[in-house]
Amino acid sequence: MNMKSSNQITAKTILVIEDDAALLLAISGKLERNGFTVITARSVETAFTIEFPKTADHLTPTTIESALAHVQALEKVDAIWLDHNLIGEEDGLDFIVKFKANGGIWSTIPIFVVSNSANPDLIKTYAELDIHHYFLKAEHRLEDIITEIKNTLKVRPD
Amino acid sequence: MNSDNTAKNTTNYRDHTQAAILNVLEDYQENAVTSSRQSRAILNILEDLETSNKILETKTLQMAEAAETLLQKNAIDTAILESIGDGIIVTDSLGHITFVNRAFEELTGWTAAEVVGDTIQRVLLIENANGIREDFLPDVITAVLDGNHYTSDATKPYFFIRKNGTRFPASSIITPVRLHETVIGLVTSFRNITKEMDIDKAKTEFVSLASHQLRSPLSAINWYTEMLLSGDVGTLTDGQEKYLTEVYKGNQRMITLVNALLNVTRMSLGTFVLEPELVDIISLLQNVIAEQQPEIDKKQLHLSQHFDAAMPTMESDAKLLRMVLQNLVSNAIKYTPDGGNINVCLELDQDKQHMRFTVSDTGCGIPERQHPHIFTRLFRADNVRSKDIEGTGLGLYIVKAIIENSGGRVWFESKENIGSIFHIELPMTSSITT
Repeated sequence: MNMKSSNQITAKTILVIEDDAALLLAISGKLERNGFTVITARSVETAFTIEFPKTADHLTPTTIESALAHVQALEKVDAIWLDHNLIGEEDGLDFIVKFKANGGIWSTIPIFVVSNSANPDLIKTYAELDIHHYFLKAEHRLEDIITEIKNTLKVRPD
Repeated sequence: MNSDNTAKNTTNYRDHTQAAILNVLEDYQENAVTSSRQSRAILNILEDLETSNKILETKTLQMAEAAETLLQKNAIDTAILESIGDGIIVTDSLGHITFVNRAFEELTGWTAAEVVGDTIQRVLLIENANGIREDFLPDVITAVLDGNHYTSDATKPYFFIRKNGTRFPASSIITPVRLHETVIGLVTSFRNITKEMDIDKAKTEFVSLASHQLRSPLSAINWYTEMLLSGDVGTLTDGQEKYLTEVYKGNQRMITLVNALLNVTRMSLGTFVLEPELVDIISLLQNVIAEQQPEIDKKQLHLSQHFDAAMPTMESDAKLLRMVLQNLVSNAIKYTPDGGNINVCLELDQDKQHMRFTVSDTGCGIPERQHPHIFTRLFRADNVRSKDIEGTGLGLYIVKAIIENSGGRVWFESKENIGSIFHIELPMTSSITT
């Protein structure tokens, strides 16, 4: 995981999971310029960090310390920016299922899916997983997506 | 005296005898004539009989030949029925199976001996894609016995269950068997469409993949030009801003084109599924107009709107309906010269079962000779091509596909250089068709 801090102390943290390096750079750059602290990952595995071997359904941290460190790191996340197609076998749906399986605060963090797949079945499946918003990547300006995230997190506009 | 008497008597006797002989001779002669006539008649009859016999013989021969031909033909018909690649089940009007062919046996695992005489409902078990058992479409059977044809919906295949309990997706056609205008039963033909479904799935997956692959680089261009134009990495010179704006616009056109192409591909694959929900069409239309407002203002168009105040919510697929309205409204804006008039109208039909949407403009219109082609995929009228007005030639094709799939209809009136009026009519609930 790669964490970049913004200058603002009260900055909101957003986990961006996107496989395309060029897009990831654009997203994180724009988010940082909008005052967010950005954590990036390009696969489900790195999103959860590779220290955590997983069983089929949920995370099984090997030590209590690493589990706590992990939870703390992720608890600091205020929102998740998630692409559908990711590096590796797993996709955005797998991420949400695993993420929400942890329950508690994890299930309340708003998830914004920003994907280029317009497959109606896929969009429906995401909606059923209770995501906050599904954006079709090519049809939205970065600024519009970030405005929606800010409104959701009640961040005052710059 | 005695001798005189004797002579007299002798003469009398001779005369009498002569007369008798003459009579006999006469009778004989008559008899001979009759007999000759009779024998001639008998000969005639015999001759006739012989002729009749010959005719009868010929006829018998012909009949035997005909019977042979008929048997042969029957055998050929049966062989044809037996050999048809699709499964065939023939039933009488009570649903009792009278014939099944080899393909039926191969597809279902039942032999003819096992099923002939049984009812089709008991033999042909059917379930839907979710594994829910269905009756052998009782409504369908009734409809077919009434003389209608039934063709299964390829987008929602039924699964036929084999003797061994496994299942396969089937497409079927059920038609009435008519004898002298009377329906005496029905014939069901069906085939296993596993391969077709696999191909369809592969195509859908391809479209989905292509959509992702095509849109990804477009997104990168989009977002980076957006950031450059927003001054995220420094102020641009006027020239740079002008050029980048062109890059941005060109990219937007490409995104529109990719979206339209993908919609068209989905439509021709039949993979776009209608998801009806309750839609407030007035607010949907207002939303579409609001989106186009900058363009309306820029061209100083006069837009008048007429909405039926009593318009209730309708049952429709909101996304697709929005696509229809968006296409028709943006066409009117695009093809109307600056300062022109556009009128949009939404009203409920008198029967209250349908809604009608009309958009009229004072635009460039469609040349009359090209009216028949206007809904064709990728078609663009000569006058708009020569005026260099941008377009993909896909908008109206998409509109027609959506409207007709929703059980509605679309039509238009247009005069070149005067304007166009497009009408759509849609059922208020998804179960009604126009």
